[in-house]
Amino acid sequence: MNSLLKIENLQMYYFTSKGAVRAIDGINLELFPGESIGLVGESGCGKTSLGTSILRMPTPPGRYVEGKILVDGVDVIPLPEKEVRKSIRWQKISMVFQGAMNCLTPVYTIGHQMMETLVEHQDMPRSDAEELMREYLGYVGLPPEILQRYPHELSGGMKQRAVIATALFLKPQIIILDEPTTALDVIVQAQIINLLKKLKQQFDLSFLFITHDLALEAEISDRICVMYAGKIVELGTNEQIYGIQRPSHPYTERLLAATPRLFKKVEQLHFIPGTPPDLIAPPKGCRFSPRCNKAFDRCFEEEPPLIEIEPGHKVACWLFH
Amino acid sequence: MKFADFKYGLSEFWSEFKKERSGLVGLAILILSILVVIFEPLILPWKEANTKWRSIDYWQDNSAGAPPAWTNFFSKQKAAITVRLENPKDEVIEMDGGIKLATYTFDYDYTADKAPLDVIFHMIGHGDFPVQVAVERPDGQIIELAQRFEQGLSGQDIRISLDNDGRESVFTFIKSHESEEALKEYSSKSLRTCNIVFNQTREGMATEFKSLKGNYKFIVRALLLVPGYSEVEDPYTVVTGSVSGLLGTDDSKRDIFSGLVAGLKWALIIGLLTSAISVLIGVMYGIVSAYFGGAVDSVMQFIYQIVNSVPILPVLIVVSAIFKPSIYMLITAMVLFFWTGSVMTVRSMALQIKEETYIEAAKALGAKHSRIIFKHMVPLLIPYSFASMALSVPSAIVYESSVSLLGLGDATIVTWGQILHDAMQGAAILKGIWWWVLPPGLLIAIMGMTFAFLGFSMDKILHPKLKTR
Amino acid sequence: MYKWFAVKRMLKGIFTYVIIIFIMSVLFNTVNEQTMRSSIEEQVRAETMRLKNMQPSALQRFQEQRRQELIRLYRLDRPLMERILFRTWNTITFNFGKSTIIKSSRGDREVLAIVGEAIPRSLVLFTVAMAIEIVVGIILGLKKAQKPGGSLDRSTSLITMIVYGMPTFWLAMILIMFFVYQLRIFPSGGMHTVPPPQGIMYYIDFLWHMTLPLLTLLLIGFWGIAFVVRNIVLSILQEDYIMAARARGIPENKVLFGHTLRTAAPPLITMSVLSLLASIGGAIIFEGIFSWPGLGNLYWIAVQQNDIPVLMGDLAITVGLYQVGLILLDLTYGFMDPRIKVGGKA
Repeated sequence: MNSLLKIENLQMYYFTSKGAVRAIDGINLELFPGESIGLVGESGCGKTSLGTSILRMPTPPGRYVEGKILVDGVDVIPLPEKEVRKSIRWQKISMVFQGAMNCLTPVYTIGHQMMETLVEHQDMPRSDAEELMREYLGYVGLPPEILQRYPHELSGGMKQRAVIATALFLKPQIIILDEPTTALDVIVQAQIINLLKKLKQQFDLSFLFITHDLALEAEISDRICVMYAGKIVELGTNEQIYGIQRPSHPYTERLLAATPRLFKKVEQLHFIPGTPPDLIAPPKGCRFSPRCNKAFDRCFEEEPPLIEIEPGHKVACWLFH
Repeated sequence: MKFADFKYGLSEFWSEFKKERSGLVGLAILILSILVVIFEPLILPWKEANTKWRSIDYWQDNSAGAPPAWTNFFSKQKAAITVRLENPKDEVIEMDGGIKLATYTFDYDYTADKAPLDVIFHMIGHGDFPVQVAVERPDGQIIELAQRFEQGLSGQDIRISLDNDGRESVFTFIKSHESEEALKEYSSKSLRTCNIVFNQTREGMATEFKSLKGNYKFIVRALLLVPGYSEVEDPYTVVTGSVSGLLGTDDSKRDIFSGLVAGLKWALIIGLLTSAISVLIGVMYGIVSAYFGGAVDSVMQFIYQIVNSVPILPVLIVVSAIFKPSIYMLITAMVLFFWTGSVMTVRSMALQIKEETYIEAAKALGAKHSRIIFKHMVPLLIPYSFASMALSVPSAIVYESSVSLLGLGDATIVTWGQILHDAMQGAAILKGIWWWVLPPGLLIAIMGMTFAFLGFSMDKILHPKLKTR
Repeated sequence: MYKWFAVKRMLKGIFTYVIIIFIMSVLFNTVNEQTMRSSIEEQVRAETMRLKNMQPSALQRFQEQRRQELIRLYRLDRPLMERILFRTWNTITFNFGKSTIIKSSRGDREVLAIVGEAIPRSLVLFTVAMAIEIVVGIILGLKKAQKPGGSLDRSTSLITMIVYGMPTFWLAMILIMFFVYQLRIFPSGGMHTVPPPQGIMYYIDFLWHMTLPLLTLLLIGFWGIAFVVRNIVLSILQEDYIMAARARGIPENKVLFGHTLRTAAPPLITMSVLSLLASIGGAIIFEGIFSWPGLGNLYWIAVQQNDIPVLMGDLAITVGLYQVGLILLDLTYGFMDPRIKVGGKA
């Protein structure tokens, strides 16, 4: 099966006045049709940067240094902006952003913003466009009156649904979701997740689901990719990562341990001591080594490569050599 | 707030501020201005400019409307520069009967192409004595210029002006060099003394001036007749040229540079006092309004809107016209309007702070209102206040100069606005007296620019929202 | 929703205006009355002049009688509060009375006419200046926001700071000295040449007179607006919804002019109009330098000639215009910001 999206050795740095921040430092990832990959990690590990990079819009002062992003076999990095805008963005890949509160322009109606997006990519008469918009609003469970409303008139959950509808209606194959439920309360969060699962099935979509919430990933993703300090440290199926007594990267272990379970007695809250490394001058060797309780000499000297420890399960750790 | 915290905050601020070039320029100019104000007595060419700005006597030896001395650099025909000659060579000869002949010789190096307008001799006199003035020219000729008999003086200033008192003798002098024919049209009244004294002696000298350059000695002799009674002190001479000073003179013969230097301190006082007091009031007003909320806030907002809806300048003008205020009353009047400037921003900032949980916590602990306000809210707003103060200074200075421009300012002091007012009265624009019109306004603009530099740099640092991510 | 907001705002404005006029009446009551009393004296004397053949005693009685009549007419014999309220009411209804010295172009002394003539003259100058400043300011500000920290941005910001404290009247003086007296291109003041030319030349002559004042206003005016535009636009460009719009494939110019500018419009208009309203006060001197016969110039002449009725009328109109400006501003803001226009959550 051909991959929809293939990221080859991507390096994207933010060139600030204090130095180059190595936010994405050699990422390899493949996304296949119909699957959902979850991207987890702490704040600042590079997951949002990866999301915007795939859409070929790294936040300034970010720039691509190395690597390829192949969408349907074509590398998008060297493409001219116009082409990316017309054929890649929103047509092949769309994105649902973090912060539902603030991702719609406050001075335009929902209808205007949706129409604008449609018209930009496809020539269709107004009436057809409106039809389409109403149809997709229906899929996300919103009434058509929403089209006349302004963003501030909607609740967070409604806004997020509208955004999801907008992300869908050009029928892209890949949808990147960056913390789509973080700003919402738990009940609405559950509703949105269920909606996403339903839509994934209905339209045979592929998701790249970015979050720091492990429990959420377990719900929606088929494969999980754990990121730390700009690198992938573990990649595997849902079962392989979350399964108890499974071999894991020390970071993943601690992430899982840090999540308090509802039905277990909690004596002490586990946390990972230390802070993420400075990405301008990352440590030699494994980037997690300063905080790792299982680190040994080699860890501080050489960077471990990503190796497959069982079919479909890759870990970057010297423990597995 | 502890002093250590304050010092830390200040040093952090300074390290950021250092990076802003415009801010540093503003700071430099401000420090320079303060130094000028402190050293004003040394810098002023005319020491009593502050108190004697409106006196006629003080400036009478200057020429009116004279361009600055350095304009000479640009003209082919060099004009004479107004100078004051002091410390003459002095000689006292004792004669019989205790009579003393005091002789003062002033050296003057004349290098200009155009004649000076006048030479004026001053001395303080006591008692009775005759005074004589003569000049020894570079070509060796000596002209007796004027003489006078002073009587009954008791410490008054004697002023002998060649242009007034020397015409007769100079006419006599010229008769010996020019023909009767040439002199037929002239009388002693129509010739300017200096045009003759400094002229090369030749035929045609009555009509054409060719400067005789070189060293001139002006000899002033006083015959002190009554010993112990007739006395002469502090003699000095002024050669009045047609260019004068660093920035020339105005219609009333006042040295403009002195006026501008004298006005600097008032600009600073007006600007700083008005902005400091009004921002302080505004900040406190905003905090109180936000903190107490409810009815207090509504009332305060209402008052704010009323005051804010009145245009400042028309009211300032009417009030000044009726009450003729002193400068401090004018400052007070301006403060009464300026305080509204910072209220809205401070109030919204204070409202945000109020919502912080630590304020709630403080209240729960039973902290008094004043403690919460002064310990928790004010320190957060101080940075904004400073930027706000800096940015209000230019307006205050401009308002004062507007009021003064209309002639309604405080007549006991000198401000740049007043100088501009005099310029308007003296039709300086029409007459092209640019050195009267350009510098005062330019200084106002520079002062405004300085505080704009300071204020905007501070604002940039303290308002991180405006920084690019 | 919006209509309710608009009505409330207008009522608030009227209410504020009434309060201000009341305060002004309180403050200037004494001065005004002194002038009034002396103008009554004048009137009585004038009337007496016309009467000949009267006995001195009869004359005196007549004078006293007339004096009392006039005092009663102008209500000077009533209690203080009543006089103040009377004056306030008159001012609000634009019943300004007669001037003491100044005459309108028709030759009469109706203050309303005098002030009324001056209004359009000021308005034409300042609104044209305001319009040009806003347009140029927006264009420049947008350009600056596109490359923040770039050479255009820094150089124009520098100029903004340089002219920040520059008095408009001084720049006017310098420009007049240069363009009028040195180069002799422009007239030295006024609105028309005397006598004004006919036909199309009338308008060209007017424009010729308006050029230098307009130029002076513009040279100082648009920098501030450009600076504010730049800051507002920059802060909006950092917002999430702009990045979201770009991600949706919206072309850059639509993002800039549509999403960004449209969102920036309410605060932008507020700042620009506020700063322009503030310049209404400064017009007094500015118009004076150019002898531009508008409200500002009229105010100054009234102060100089001690013509209190004209002064009060001018002040009342100026305050009124200021209020109208503020009201229009709030109404426009409310209209442009959907959060106010449409109101709360669904």
